Amino acid sequence: MKTLGRPFWIAVGWLMLLTVLAVFASWLPLEDPHEIGAAEARLGPSSSHLFGTDALGRDVFARTIFGARISLLVGLLAIAFGMLVGGGLGIVAGYFRGVTDQVISFCFFTLLSFPALVLALLITATIDRNQWTVSLTLGILSIASVGRLSRANTIVFAEREFVQAARVLGADSTRIITHELLPNVMIPMGALALLGMGIAIVAEGSLAFLGLSVEGDAVSWGKSIVDGSQARDLENNPNVALFPIGVMFLTVLALNYAGDRVREYFDVRETAF
Amino acid sequence: MTFTLEQGEMLGIVGESGSGKSVTAKALMNLLPRTAEIDGRVRFDGEDVRALAAAGSRHFWGVRMTMVFQDPMTSLNPVKKCGEQIAETLRYHLGHGRVAAMKAATDLLEQVGVPEPGRRVNQYPHQLSGGLRQRVVIAMALACEPDLLIADEPTTAVDVTVQKRILDLLDSLRKERGMSMILITHDLGVARGRCDDVAVMYAGRIVERSSTETLFDRSRHPYTDALVRSIPRIEQPSHARLDPIPGRPPELIDPPVQCAFAPRCRYAQADCLESVPPTEGVGESHEFACHHPANTPRGREALANNVAAGVTAAGLQISYRKTR
Amino acid sequence: MRSLVLSRLAQLVLVLLAVTFLAFSAMNVLGDPLFNIVGPLAELDCDAVSRGEIASTSSSLDATRTDCEIVAEAKAEFRLDEPLMKRYVLWLTDSARGDFGTSFASEGVPVSDILKEKFPASIKLMIYAEVIALGLAIPLGVYGAYRANRRPDRILSVVSFGALAIPNFALGVVLLYVFGLKAGIFPSSYDSSSFRTELTSLFLPALTLGSGLAAGYQRLLRTDLVTTLQEDFVHMARAKGMTDRHIMFRHALRPSLFSVITVFGIQTGALIGGALVVEQIYLIPGVGRELVTAVVRDDFPVVLAGVTIIATAFVVINFAVDLLYGWLDPRVRAKS
Repeated sequence: MKTLGRPFWIAVGWLMLLTVLAVFASWLPLEDPHEIGAAEARLGPSSSHLFGTDALGRDVFARTIFGARISLLVGLLAIAFGMLVGGGLGIVAGYFRGVTDQVISFCFFTLLSFPALVLALLITATIDRNQWTVSLTLGILSIASVGRLSRANTIVFAEREFVQAARVLGADSTRIITHELLPNVMIPMGALALLGMGIAIVAEGSLAFLGLSVEGDAVSWGKSIVDGSQARDLENNPNVALFPIGVMFLTVLALNYAGDRVREYFDVRETAF
Repeated sequence: MTFTLEQGEMLGIVGESGSGKSVTAKALMNLLPRTAEIDGRVRFDGEDVRALAAAGSRHFWGVRMTMVFQDPMTSLNPVKKCGEQIAETLRYHLGHGRVAAMKAATDLLEQVGVPEPGRRVNQYPHQLSGGLRQRVVIAMALACEPDLLIADEPTTAVDVTVQKRILDLLDSLRKERGMSMILITHDLGVARGRCDDVAVMYAGRIVERSSTETLFDRSRHPYTDALVRSIPRIEQPSHARLDPIPGRPPELIDPPVQCAFAPRCRYAQADCLESVPPTEGVGESHEFACHHPANTPRGREALANNVAAGVTAAGLQISYRKTR
Repeated sequence: MRSLVLSRLAQLVLVLLAVTFLAFSAMNVLGDPLFNIVGPLAELDCDAVSRGEIASTSSSLDATRTDCEIVAEAKAEFRLDEPLMKRYVLWLTDSARGDFGTSFASEGVPVSDILKEKFPASIKLMIYAEVIALGLAIPLGVYGAYRANRRPDRILSVVSFGALAIPNFALGVVLLYVFGLKAGIFPSSYDSSSFRTELTSLFLPALTLGSGLAAGYQRLLRTDLVTTLQEDFVHMARAKGMTDRHIMFRHALRPSLFSVITVFGIQTGALIGGALVVEQIYLIPGVGRELVTAVVRDDFPVVLAGVTIIATAFVVINFAVDLLYGWLDPRVRAKS
C-alpha cells in the first residue's frame, strides 16, 4: 500500500499555514506593510521586527505575509485559468481528434514556441498590471503545457472500455466528456496543478525583476525581493531580500514535493509535459 | 548445485522459466548485480573465478569465458555499428589497432556465416534480420577465442527456421576450436541432440545431472521424467495427448523446507514434504535429488500407492494413465 | 531523412508566422502605438481639425508643423493607418531583410543597430550557462547511475530536487550576496574588457542560470542511464569483459541522452527567460536589459524585434534538436 508519507504532510502543513496567514493578514497584529517610515529604516532582525525593516522603514515580516496574498493568489488563479482553458481544450482535442485536434494542437505548439517569460513580457508590457491581469497572463502561459497533458490523457482514456461502453449506451459527447473523461483526466492534472502553481509563483517573481509585476504599492514576494536586491541594499541589509527568498523557496519546494508525491501516488506516467 | 565441464564438451542446462538457469549463467559470468549474495566457488582451469573478479582481472571475461544472450534484438547496442561492437573487444583485450580490429571483425563475420561481411560491419543492428544479428552476437563472443562459451537460450528469440542453423553453427564452431560450451535452454529436445551432459534445474537447484543418453533413457527425477514425457515424439500417433506437468513452478521467496517439486509430483510421499532430498551420486556420472526416484522399485511403489489413493501426499489429484 | 527535414521545415515556417503574427498583433491591438510615439497628441481629433470644427494647434517646439501634421507624419512613418494585416505583412517582409524599423524612443535609430550591440553579452551568458550545466550534469548523472540508490546517488537526488525549487532570481541574489558582495571572490558587475574578466564576471550569472538546468539534466540522465544499464547489450558488453568506464561512456551514455537532448531544446526557453532576469540582477548590458528599458519607454519596435528574434531562435533550436535525434539514433534515421 502506497502512502503519501510524513514529508508530504509537512509540505501541505506549510502551505496551509501560509494560506491562513495570507488570508487573515489584515486581522493579524502586523505592522502596515505599506507605510513608509513606520519604523527605523534598515534594521536587522529582532523580536519587534522578526525579519528586520527595509530601506523605507517597512516591516519585512509584514511585507512577506502580505506578499503571500498576491503571490499565492496569482499562483492559484494562474493555474486555475490554465486548467480551465488548457484542460478543456486538451480534452476536446483528445476526444474529437481530427481537424479540431490539429487546430488546437497547433495553437498549443505556437504558444510553446515562445520562451514563457518572453511571452509574459510581451503581454504585460502592453496592459495595465494588477493581480487579475498578471494572473491571467501567467495562466495563458500554462495553457499549452496543461492542454498537452490533458489531451494525452484523454486519448488514453477515450480508448478504454468504460468510455466505449458509455458510447454504446447512447451517451452523447457532452456527457461522455463531463461524466467519463473529466474525472479520470482530473487526477493526473492535480499533480500538474501543484507543480504549475509553483512555476507561476516563480514567474511572478521573474516578472517583478523585469519591472512587470503588479503595479502600484501592492506587495508581492517578487517585488519585496527586488526591493532588497540592489547591490548596495543587498550588501548592508541582506535580510530584506533573503527572508522573502527563503519563504518563497520553501513554498515552491513544498509545492514541487507535494506534486511529485501526488503523481507517484496515482502512478501517472509522465506524458507530453 | 555442483557441476563440472571438461574441455571441448557441451553441457546443457534445462529448466522452465524462473528455474535459475540464467542466474547460474550470470553468476558464472560475474554479471549478478552488486546487491546479490554470492556463495560458493567456480574454478576455471584451476583458477578461482571469484578471486579473479575480486582482483579486478581485466582479460578473463570476454577472453577466456564469454556469453551469448537470448535476444539478439536487445543484446546489440542500437547506436553502434556491428563492426565496431565486435572490434572494441579485440581492441580492448588484444590491443588491436582500429584498422586491424575492423579487419578481424569482418573475418569473424565471415566465419559465422554472415553474407557480405564487408558491408555488414558498417551497418547498424536494426538493419539486420534476427538471425543475422544473432550471428553478429556470436561473432562478438568468439572474437577472443574463448575457452568457454555460455549460450543463454540463443535461439529462443529467432525465427524457427533460423534456430537450427544457429545451433549447427555453434556446434561446428565448438568442434573446430575445441571450445567448451554451456547451452541453456528450456527445450529438452535441443539439449538431447547436441549436449554431452545435461543438467536439469528446478526451483534454483540441479535436480538431475548425467550424460545425455542416461538422462533420457534412465531418468530418475520425476521432474526430468515428466519433461521427457512431455516431448512430442514422431512415433506417437498424430493426435496423441502429451503429458503436461500439472501446476506451476514454486515461488522462490521463502520456500518451505520440502522437495520443491513435491506439489506437482505424481510420486510425492509424506517424506517429500518433510525434508529436501539430498543429491545422490555426487561426483559420479549420474546424480539426482529425489526420495522416490522414477524407474526404481521405490519410485514404482510410491506411484502405485498414489494411484491407488487417487491423490498424492501433497494433495495432487492423479489418475493412472498408461504411458510408454 | 530528407522528407522528415522538409516536413519539419514547413512546420517551422508555419509556427514562425503564427508566432510573429501573435507578437505583432499583441503589440498593436493591446497597446496604442500612436500614443507611444506622439504622446497626448494622439488624443487629438484631427478629422475634426481638418473639417475646421476645432482650431488647429501647434504645441511642439517645432513651430513649422501643426500638431495634426506631426500626428499625420507619425502615422505615415509607422504605417498606422493601414489595416493590421497589411502592416503585419509589410513589417514581416522588412524584418526578414533584417530591417526592424526605427525606435520610437530614440528617434531615427534603427532597431537592428540597438539589438546588434546587445545580443553578444546575452548569448555569451547563455552558452556559458549551458557549458556549466552540462559540465556538471553529465559527470554527476553518470556517477548517480553508477551508484544508483546508494548514498551518493541519494544525496545527489536531494540536492538536485532542491536546486530545481530555487528560482533563478533567488539563486542569483544569494550568489551575488555571498560570493560577489560578502566574500568578494567574483566581481559583482559585468566587465568585458578582456576574455578573462568576461569569464570571471559572467561566472556567477552563468552559474545562477546553469544550476537549475544542471539539476534537471542530472535527474533525467541518471534515470535514463539506470534503465539503459539494465539492457541486454550492456550485459553483453560486460560479458565481453569491457570495463565499467568503457560500458558507461561508450555503450550506455549515448542511447541515454535522448531525454536530455529533448529537454535541452525545451529548456532553452527557460534559459532565455532566466537570462532576462539574471541580466537585471547582475546589470549585464544584454538584450534582457534592453527589452526591459524598451518596455518601460513603450518602445514597441524594439520590444517586437527582440521578442521575434528570441522566439525565432528558440523555434530554430528546437528544430535543430529534432534533427539531432537522427544523429544519436540510427533507427530514427532509418524510419524517416
